[in-house]
Amino acid sequence: MLNSYFLLFFEFIKVGLFTFGGGYASLPFLYQMIENYNWFSSFELTQMIAIAGITPGPIGFNMATFAGFKTLGILGALTSSLALVLPMIIITSLIFRIYLKFSESKLVKSILYVLRPTSCALIAGVGLRLFYSSILKNNLSFSNIDYLGLGLVVILFILTFKLRRDPIIYMMIAAIVGVIIKFC
Amino acid sequence: MKVNFINIFITFLKIGAILLGGGYVIIPIMQSELVEKRNWLNEQELCDYYCVSQCLPGIIAVNMSILVGYKLAKFKGVLASILGMSFSPFIIILLIANILNKISNIPFIDGIFWGVNLSVIVLIYLALKEMWQKSIVDLFSSIWFALILILTVLKVSPVILIISSILVGAILHLIKGEKNA
Repeated sequence: MLNSYFLLFFEFIKVGLFTFGGGYASLPFLYQMIENYNWFSSFELTQMIAIAGITPGPIGFNMATFAGFKTLGILGALTSSLALVLPMIIITSLIFRIYLKFSESKLVKSILYVLRPTSCALIAGVGLRLFYSSILKNNLSFSNIDYLGLGLVVILFILTFKLRRDPIIYMMIAAIVGVIIKFC
Repeated sequence: MKVNFINIFITFLKIGAILLGGGYVIIPIMQSELVEKRNWLNEQELCDYYCVSQCLPGIIAVNMSILVGYKLAKFKGVLASILGMSFSPFIIILLIANILNKISNIPFIDGIFWGVNLSVIVLIYLALKEMWQKSIVDLFSSIWFALILILTVLKVSPVILIISSILVGAILHLIKGEKNA
């Protein structure tokens, strides 16, 4: 039992330490947890992403709390959120004194030049995986495509050209469409 | 407002409770709560903290809170800001996670989740679009993006990909540095 807390702690230290570029950048690590430990299902993970996005607080932090709770209850939630912020507390406090020098440093700039496309690719990979599981139903034969779902995604995609980029708007439209479809 | 543990905690309690929807929202919130209302920071510091937070591992809003907390009261300030910031999100997530299994069979809730789960695909696209301009700037970064995307689809561990990127960045710096010298 103690072992599983230790494992959860270690996994979220990894998330805190290796996430670069926003909440969604921590998703590849959460998908890896599904593959390695089966702590939650990929459907539960999409639920977590959705709830983390519509409740207050940073998305990455919310997802960690949620994943910890799913795995080991309230103590698990405490373990995962503590593990997530611990590397940040240590690194960011240490950097504080030299932060201006740090962000102006040519070495840091050169590392970010390579890290940024990496973050993009990792997030794009998550997007592809989500599309594959929710629209294609984990099947490349295209025989059981969720056409209703595909339609909704296409409509939301078109709306991104018209609406503000505020995520809440898209979630609300999608929620309303979902409710209407369930009751028709 | 006096700078002490309780006040920093309460201020970040408020920031954590009203922080809704994506990382960049932290800027206007901190501007009104920390710069205008309390005068704990100036505009320049807020800008600097945002830039530095983007270069650091972890969550931007959390890193900014740590920087502000440290500036105000060293480690005590860091503790106060982190505890305050995470308090309401933590409680809200626990409450929702607790009842989720019981309510997810209700058709109304099921419909909401069906839609919102799909909207996440579009939200990821939006996040990507925002990062894209800063990230994919030339031929090397495009090729690097394609390479990492292929490796991700092949399920190579993200930790390995991040560490290799840091190493490649450092090596590029060394090569450039020698050229300049």
